Amino acid sequence: MEIKYTTQGLLIYVTVGAYLLAFILTAARRTKPGHFLYLLGFATAVLSFGYRWYHVRHVPMQNLFEVFLCLGMIYPVSVFCRHFLRVGGYSADMLIGAIVLIPAGFVFNADPQKLPPALQSWLFVPHVAVYIVSYIFMAKAAFHASLQLVRKAPDTTGDLLGPEQATYQMICVGFPLLTLGLILGSCWGKLAWGDYWGWDPKELWSLASWLVYIGYFHFRYMFGRKYPRINSTWAIAGLTVIIITLLWVNLSKLFTGLHTYAV
Amino acid sequence: MNKLRRIILWAALALIISSIFLSIYGAFLGAARAKGFFNSIPLSIYWLALACLLVLAIAAFQRLLHVPGLLLTHLGCVLILAGSIWGSDRGHSLQKRLVGLDKIPQGQMIIFEGASEKHVKLEANEQTKELPFSIKLKDFRLEHYEPGYLLIETRGQQRWQLPVEIGAEYSLGPDFGTITVTKRFKNFKITFDGTQRIPIDSPKAGSNPALEVQITDPNGAVTTKYVFERFGGHVHPEDKLLLSYHRIISDFISEIQIIKDGKVLAEESLEVNHPVYFGGYHFYQHAYDDKAGEYTILMVTSDTGLKMVYLGYLMLCVGVFWQFWLRPILRKSSTKE
Ligand code: HEM
Repeated sequence: MEIKYTTQGLLIYVTVGAYLLAFILTAARRTKPGHFLYLLGFATAVLSFGYRWYHVRHVPMQNLFEVFLCLGMIYPVSVFCRHFLRVGGYSADMLIGAIVLIPAGFVFNADPQKLPPALQSWLFVPHVAVYIVSYIFMAKAAFHASLQLVRKAPDTTGDLLGPEQATYQMICVGFPLLTLGLILGSCWGKLAWGDYWGWDPKELWSLASWLVYIGYFHFRYMFGRKYPRINSTWAIAGLTVIIITLLWVNLSKLFTGLHTYAV
Repeated sequence: MNKLRRIILWAALALIISSIFLSIYGAFLGAARAKGFFNSIPLSIYWLALACLLVLAIAAFQRLLHVPGLLLTHLGCVLILAGSIWGSDRGHSLQKRLVGLDKIPQGQMIIFEGASEKHVKLEANEQTKELPFSIKLKDFRLEHYEPGYLLIETRGQQRWQLPVEIGAEYSLGPDFGTITVTKRFKNFKITFDGTQRIPIDSPKAGSNPALEVQITDPNGAVTTKYVFERFGGHVHPEDKLLLSYHRIISDFISEIQIIKDGKVLAEESLEVNHPVYFGGYHFYQHAYDDKAGEYTILMVTSDTGLKMVYLGYLMLCVGVFWQFWLRPILRKSSTKE
């Protein structure tokens, strides 16, 4: 835990503040100012990302700090889901935006790094970018799934989908991106290291998260909405495995006895 | 038939769930052991069963055949499984037995500058095998992000990371004075003028990157020091500052020629992320001689099954986007009309 006394840090903290305030206002049914703050938070998030880009002079998606910075720009996904997919959850998105920026603001190291040779590939940016977008959708899916588990409807206005269907909708959008991310990663591995699949822990966790969503689709195909709670559990399990995938290298340090990653 | 379908669906679910747990188990093994585990005989049978079940499902479910997105998705998975089984070590030995094709699955070659090499040390065991052509290393180069940086640490916890800029003076605060980089050497050597030692930047072959720095302590006393990239150098008990010179590698490049029967068939430069493809093999820049930069280590992999895997990737990708993105859009626009 460390506070970043830099312009970058300031921009992140302003974004987190705006998102949290937006969340509180929305929860208190002051939706208009809530929305305005959400938009303001988004603008700072974009500024923060742009600042980092200018600072390091390559697309900032190289380390966890930068990936989480990018995850913080969640607003367009909210708008897209509301207008095209009839999936709500604005207030949850504000919270997701704030939650992903907290590790960027307080935990991850923000020292700029030069690109090592293996990262100098045209596949690098699409691979990470596609994953980032899909993770946002999967996070939204897990949110709606948890609403379903506690049997609460999302902030309802008019024609929004119920939580079980909203979860399905989110996974349907996120899954192709997850697939593409996995395949681009594999092609990149082939180019950089000579193997399209190296059985490395990070790869295996990402395979596991992809398989969880395949399990979800097959289960839901077999039983439809007969067991909505089990459907939702799949979606939450999916996000759990995604989080482990994303943080594995960091998490694995917590139980070094169990892994041989660094050996 | 209905019963068969039910069995297929349950078997699919069981295999998907077991794959999840196998992947997670593999993640705890670490890459090297996981590779052995997933290529073992029981797991090879498992992959084969998965591929067969997918084919069976495509045959038994009308919808899998008639919905293009779903067909591409499942067929893509079959191709990926088939291609990777065919291209594995076990697949290679099967090919040798069935069709007499004897390719090297994967291995490494060490090539010294100026030398030619055709032996590949196999990944699977310590044996070597010969390629049908040889590879000559004309030149090996390392490229760095310039100008590199000087790292200064005190015995306390203070540290500075300064870009190398000749003549620029940096202040280290009231306790330590100032520091200036006065010269940069590509190939530092000492010559003697009588008994006096003179450092020079030697134009001869070799590489010994170094910096000359001047430290002015708070009392105004000036000392000159040499900092080397490759060697830590001596630290005396009275030294207040520990200096080191770092440059970050931006690329390593092997200039190679591919030679058969004394004829040069191709001439390529091989970099990380820019492998060379020749005669059914991919060659990768894998590692290098990090002491003197005199040899390169290339990784060689056979391309067996690779086209099938890539075709499978393409089908899988097109399939999922078709099924989950395109189909709903098409459906929506057709209901609107
Ligand atoms: C273990 C082997 C597998 C078998 C036997 C199998 C079988 C099936 C069957 C029978 C269906 C239902 C088709 C229908 O609508 O009538 C289906 C749906 C589906 N399968 Fe598979 N599958 C397998 C593995 C996979 C894999 C590896 C993927 C990865 C992409 C996948 C993705 C899907 C998707 C996305 C659906 C659509 C589900 C939906 O409509 O909601 N399947 N599968």
